[in-house]
Amino acid sequence: MLESSNLEHANRFGATSETILETRNLSKSFGAVQAVRNVNWSVKRGEVCALLGDNGAGKSTLIKLITGAILPSSGEIWVRGSRARITGPSDALNLGIAPVYQDLALIEGRNVIQNMFLGSELTHGPLNLFLDHARMALETTRVLGEIRSRIPSARAVVRKLSGGQRQAVAIARTLIRGGQIIIMDEPTAALGVEQTREVLQLIENLRTQGRTVVLITHNMSQVFQVADQVSVMFRGEMIGTKRVKDTNQEEVISMIVGAKREAMGAA
Amino acid sequence: MREETSAPSVLRPPSTPGSPRVLDFLLENGLYVSTLILIAVFSVSIPVFFTLENAVNILSSAALKGIIAAGFTITLIAGLIDTSILGMAALSTVLTGVLFQQLGWPLWTTMLGVAAAALVMASLNDALVVRAKINSFVATTATSGVFLGVCLALTNGQTITITRPELQTVLLARPLGLPVAIWLMFAVYGAGYVLLNHTRLGSHLYATGANHNAARVNGVPVNRVTHIAFALCALAAALGTVLATARAGSSLLFGTQFLTFDLTEIFTAVLLGGASLFGGSGKIERNLVAVLFLTILANGLQLLQTGTGIWLVLKGAAFVAAIILDVVRQRRQ
Ligand SMILES: Nc1ncnc2c1ncn2[C@@H]1O[C@H](COP(=O)(O)OP(=O)(O)OP(=O)(O)O)[C@@H](O)[C@H]1O
Ligand SMILES: [Mg+2]
Repeated sequence: MLESSNLEHANRFGATSETILETRNLSKSFGAVQAVRNVNWSVKRGEVCALLGDNGAGKSTLIKLITGAILPSSGEIWVRGSRARITGPSDALNLGIAPVYQDLALIEGRNVIQNMFLGSELTHGPLNLFLDHARMALETTRVLGEIRSRIPSARAVVRKLSGGQRQAVAIARTLIRGGQIIIMDEPTAALGVEQTREVLQLIENLRTQGRTVVLITHNMSQVFQVADQVSVMFRGEMIGTKRVKDTNQEEVISMIVGAKREAMGAA
Repeated sequence: MREETSAPSVLRPPSTPGSPRVLDFLLENGLYVSTLILIAVFSVSIPVFFTLENAVNILSSAALKGIIAAGFTITLIAGLIDTSILGMAALSTVLTGVLFQQLGWPLWTTMLGVAAAALVMASLNDALVVRAKINSFVATTATSGVFLGVCLALTNGQTITITRPELQTVLLARPLGLPVAIWLMFAVYGAGYVLLNHTRLGSHLYATGANHNAARVNGVPVNRVTHIAFALCALAAALGTVLATARAGSSLLFGTQFLTFDLTEIFTAVLLGGASLFGGSGKIERNLVAVLFLTILANGLQLLQTGTGIWLVLKGAAFVAAIILDVVRQRRQ
């Protein structure tokens, strides 16, 4: 399925579409640690952009800056061609930037609908006092259908769902909130083979829907399965970005190794 | 190393088949079944048990504890254990005596005054838990002691007898044949049911109690939710206590002994009703049934004239059972 659907999307290996997200000289220090240094990086609309790098390279810090979880020390973030003022997660969300948290941030004992609308419940009635259960159920079914997830029932309690299904709930939630740029930090890290396949399929489906995905991963083969662009970070710096169609695993690995060798030579 | 991940249950089958079904059924319906059995047994063995008068009697006693337990349930759902209901209730009954009897305030301003005091006490709990980040059980146990101390300072340990009649004429009236307290109990549980199941705040209470961090990152105003939960609990404790004060005709504090309910009774009712000490779960309608169960048990034993000893033993056993139930329920998940 993954392979066949590639053909449907000009973007996958297609050339120029507009830049939706961009960082300019973005930096973040934690005391003496420069977690992100002068990163210039851009993501195109409707593409899946993979972010690679060793442990501690600064990947999570970079996306936390973009999602408003932390504030930059210096530099700029641009969204859809204009400078974005992101002072918190809600600013990012208003710009359509929606993170899927690494621990998914789901409430185990509540059902899919309740999780889907957690913090953004729909209401109706006098003074909008009451939950609009019917509309939330409808929207949940619609969005789950949109990403073609296989969840038995919108009323299923999250505790009873598989790892892949949970990912689907967390991803669908970003869409409910108007997410256009979906940010995922190692979504498959804790999953088995089958669940991982499901999640990659979900990412594929997001692209089909015209969404942009930023995917942090440690898995090179995943990059070549789903991504349009791959960027490599090393010790806080963005050391390179390649179009997936123009590169291969060896080249990406050599980028990482080369950076390491250089760093050792300098030391 | 990779950042911490709460590993999803990849290996767990979606449902547990076989014998645990019986346990599931009991966890789900045991309370209802036990209550029906209890009613059946007492109805057969005690002639005056199954009468309208006794039913009203049971509901009246249930009302006072029920209203307090309803508020307590809401805090538990929000992941808070508010043991200061004891101190808050004590201060509420003393304030009712002071404002209404000693200072001669009208009933409605007395009740507003007691409600305002309840909100102040809730704010203190809230400040300790949210600002100072103290565990709620510890914080409220401490404040409860403070509230009892204030009671003692206000009364010198004297019980205030209420001789002005309005308190009783209003709060012990029987519109449509049922005492005000019973109507209020149903109103409180009805409002609690709607709040928990049909409002945003209700969703937020469950989410905050179940997973504080997940709620927060999803935009739930967890601090405000905590504040409201404490406030509702305090108001319920105040209301239940004012009703109990009217029924007794005096402030219910004897020295530092507060005599209408004890904490274990409230805990028992709330845990039997399916709320959890671990937060995030519980249905308020079940809590009402649990309160009725305990009240029916007390009433039946009283009619059988078994003596207080048996009641204390059974009450203790119910408490232990309630805690075990809570733990079993958690393990099952
Ligand atoms: N809140 C923080 N306070 C102090 N240092 C931090 C903080 N967050 C990250 N760092 C440091 O910044 C650097 C980059 O961390 P980051 O989490 O961004 O790496 P990463 O690329 O996501 O690594 P991994 O693959 O292990 O998830 C690390 O040296 C880390 O120790
Ligand atoms: Mg990381």
